[in-house]
Amino acid sequence: MPQPANNIEKLDEHLLQVVRALHGAVKQGVSHSTEPKVMDNAIQDCKEILDEIMTGNVSEWLK
Amino acid sequence: MLTDKIELKDFDKMDPEYKDLLGRVLTIQADCEIGGPHLYVERMLPAAPTKLDQLIVARTAAEEIDHFRKVARVAGDIGVDVSFVLSQPNEKRFVDTFRGLITTWEDNAVFGFLIDRVGRYQLEEFYDCSYLPLQRILPDIVTEELGHIEYGYNKTMELLSKGDEQKERVQKAIDNWYVRALDMFGHTGSSRAERYRYWGLKRRANEQARDDYMKEVNPILEKMGLRIPDPLKGRRYM
Repeated sequence: MPQPANNIEKLDEHLLQVVRALHGAVKQGVSHSTEPKVMDNAIQDCKEILDEIMTGNVSEWLK
Repeated sequence: MLTDKIELKDFDKMDPEYKDLLGRVLTIQADCEIGGPHLYVERMLPAAPTKLDQLIVARTAAEEIDHFRKVARVAGDIGVDVSFVLSQPNEKRFVDTFRGLITTWEDNAVFGFLIDRVGRYQLEEFYDCSYLPLQRILPDIVTEELGHIEYGYNKTMELLSKGDEQKERVQKAIDNWYVRALDMFGHTGSSRAERYRYWGLKRRANEQARDDYMKEVNPILEKMGLRIPDPLKGRRYM
């Protein structure tokens, strides 16, 4: 078997959590489409999560 | 032409060229998956026209991050670390299309409609490919890409219904992304593409895939009442 890349398990787990958190926030917003405040909060949650991913500070994530 | 199917446990026994090409194609695919959100999240998440559209931008990004995760896992299992692309500036993306930033809603809609469609073509290249762990992650990824294409198409149609001025803005976005889409298929007669085919990692020559794409997209553009851009104007990879 080949030697796996360092931290692949941890990265996979971290990104899976990120994806789940994003989907959770989106679902919360979409299911309250008549409540602007709830949607705004969901959008803000998505923004915060995505900002972290866009920064791409992998070593911080895997600490 | 390799017709065997390769599992992770067989990887060490493979020819060095196979290992190299598989690592390379997985790295580029991972870069393209994360390259999309890096193009549109910054400006489109706050600027999408409705709150629902903002949430759909976030959902699309979530799906692309998940595609990255799946491709990175396949790469990581053979010892190829693709995590560097997560922090790579857009200007260093492997594929030109992902360099820069999407700043208008027209561009965002057309990007989904035209560029995510190229993404689907690239993924379809791996259908029935020789490396089974790659083949296994495809169905879910392609299903989600189809959703991105449909959303892009619907948003483009929505914009087109808003009058001539808006139509011109959409046409401008089409003119920009269409040639970029064609470039994404790479050089005609590429010797590397031929090696990918030899090792069963891709199905079509670059020019064949590009031709298939044009045959699919051009009638859709015509039906939408848009001009088909000159397929040679502004191209970088012929």
